[in-house]
Amino acid sequence: MSTETPRRLLLGPQRPTINLGDAIEASGIEARSLAVISAGWQEAENDIDEIRDVVGLPLADLCLYGRTESLLRDHEDLASDYRARQDRLQQQQRLYRLRLKQLAIAARHTLKASGDADILAAEQRHAVAQLRALDRHHLKRTTSVYEQFARTWNTETLPAIDEHRREIADILDANDGVIITGGNIAILLNRLSLFGMADLLADRTIIAWSAGAMVLADRIVLFHDRMPQGRREPEVLSAGLGLVRGHVFLPDPTGRLRLRDRPRIGLMARRFAPDKCVTLVSGASVEFGGTSVVGVSLAQRLGKKGQLTRVRAA
Amino acid sequence: MNPILEKLFENGEPDAAAVDAFIADNDFPLVDSSDVTFVFRGEADAIYLRIWISGLDTAQAFAPLEGTDLWAATIDLPKGSRVEYKFEVVRDGHGELILDPLNPVKAHDPFGANSVCQGFGYERPHWTYDLPESNKGRLESLTVQSAVFGDERTVQVYLPARFRLNRRFGLLIVHDGVDYLKFAALQTVLDNLIQALEIPPLIVALTQSPDRLNEYAGDDRHAKYIADELLPALYDAYPLIDDPRSRCIMGASFGGVASLHTAWRNQGLFGRLLLQSGSFAFSDIGRHKRDPVFDPVVEFMNDFRDSPGIPSERIYMSCGMYESLIYENRSLIPKLQGQGIDVLFEEARDAHNWENWRDRLRSGLSWLFPGPQWMVYE
Repeated sequence: MSTETPRRLLLGPQRPTINLGDAIEASGIEARSLAVISAGWQEAENDIDEIRDVVGLPLADLCLYGRTESLLRDHEDLASDYRARQDRLQQQQRLYRLRLKQLAIAARHTLKASGDADILAAEQRHAVAQLRALDRHHLKRTTSVYEQFARTWNTETLPAIDEHRREIADILDANDGVIITGGNIAILLNRLSLFGMADLLADRTIIAWSAGAMVLADRIVLFHDRMPQGRREPEVLSAGLGLVRGHVFLPDPTGRLRLRDRPRIGLMARRFAPDKCVTLVSGASVEFGGTSVVGVSLAQRLGKKGQLTRVRAA
Repeated sequence: MNPILEKLFENGEPDAAAVDAFIADNDFPLVDSSDVTFVFRGEADAIYLRIWISGLDTAQAFAPLEGTDLWAATIDLPKGSRVEYKFEVVRDGHGELILDPLNPVKAHDPFGANSVCQGFGYERPHWTYDLPESNKGRLESLTVQSAVFGDERTVQVYLPARFRLNRRFGLLIVHDGVDYLKFAALQTVLDNLIQALEIPPLIVALTQSPDRLNEYAGDDRHAKYIADELLPALYDAYPLIDDPRSRCIMGASFGGVASLHTAWRNQGLFGRLLLQSGSFAFSDIGRHKRDPVFDPVVEFMNDFRDSPGIPSERIYMSCGMYESLIYENRSLIPKLQGQGIDVLFEEARDAHNWENWRDRLRSGLSWLFPGPQWMVYE
């Protein structure tokens, strides 16, 4: 294990602009080979040839999606508990969404209201505080569901998980860092958590984009203002791996967020503070050394008044 | 008078050069925020605007514009409307239906083409265009032996861009599917909605009946063909999810009747229904006033309205406000909701045509098959 501060290079979507290779080069990350986690691509997990072409290095596929599928196929009890956990999480998310919708509407109206400045300020603070309290509550509840599952199913209770984890650790040791692609964030998170990847990745160089970047944060925030049936309130999904602290990552902001809706953007910034909401457009990159930004291109931060400001290196 | 026409006549009767410039400088018809002025240039005994909007006369006379060879007719048209029309040009006692020579925008259907008037504020949705960033699905043919009809039927099958045998897919069966491809850009729409993650990758079976006015009109043979012959053939050939919530059947006009009838005859089979401008004619008492081809439809719909059951747990319906069928469609909603069915009904300022059906596909498909975009960050 290295004693140096682990490096985290986070990127926006690799469509339409592919900046993976250039960003690695610009960051000065020196790698002879890299491991890849593309579980978010589900059945297409192994289609990593394009990444290989872009980075021009040997890649080792960690196959977290495939490993999970094989474990679920071979261990009926695990599969059954896994499904039950997902049912619980989905129910939890539905109830959270129900309450969130009302609180978010109330908060937006309160933030737009006019009148006595002192009265307004107090009510606005409280409206945002209620949202933050609900987010905290939801995070606590979902964390508890994950923890309960991990107590039942872990390397000690199921040797097959341990075998996979050892293989994964060996592959990681044999490479100079790991790439985490985008894709389905829930599937990616579930695969990472089954193998206890937070510990295995803690000291590694990580290069990640979109869902891969989101999952590294303390908490994962889902968002999309341009759904066919109308926009939805941003939602906390659950805790992330906590490998990049103090930030919430928002890939493809131009496609997914109404950035000109300043009250909405401002509320998002206030709701998730003190974490910084950082946008990652295609072509963007942010490099962290510990909790500090050491390199940045095109990334912006949401401000409490709905403004966007450039993220700057420390 | 339309302000642009007013300007043409502000200094009296315009000469031929001024009319030439007027034609060259403007897009036709002339669209205002609340009305539309159609213009024809040429010699004729009379000109009529033939427009098929329920609530308006089907033939509206043009007025000749003094001292010129121009004719004009103005109709009220609310914002966001889209209507199809032709001109009837009468010369020597004979009328001829023609497309608007000054309007390049046309819509096609199995009977030919119509000119299209896009009212103030109407914009063709971006997802109906061929977008370069969308990965393309492909079509292949499946042959189904039908004992019910005593023949062999070829079904076109759309496979999404990321089709893989090791994945399972939802199924959409589309009545008049080949027409949907030709006239409602269905393949392009599917490619775009899947690419945008607004719907999941689906396998889509595109059926085309050789005798739709009979087979789609509440014909039990058709319901049996779909349930007992087409579906098993599709499940044999493709990796499909075996769950009613992942099975949808859809259609427009008589295809809507066929979809509802098939789902009603096979309750529990299709968890999703998409019905566009369904020809849901019925009679509360006495004989209906429509064409005799509707006789079996009315018989079915009267039975259905007596005992709707639960043809599907979730139904998307759309209808144009300018269709005569709007009344029948609206009146079906409480019947369905009364059964506890989750119904989304959308009305559009449009009529009974393919582009109306095209423009509603995103809303209908994404509601019936919500895509993974909330969870996917690529």
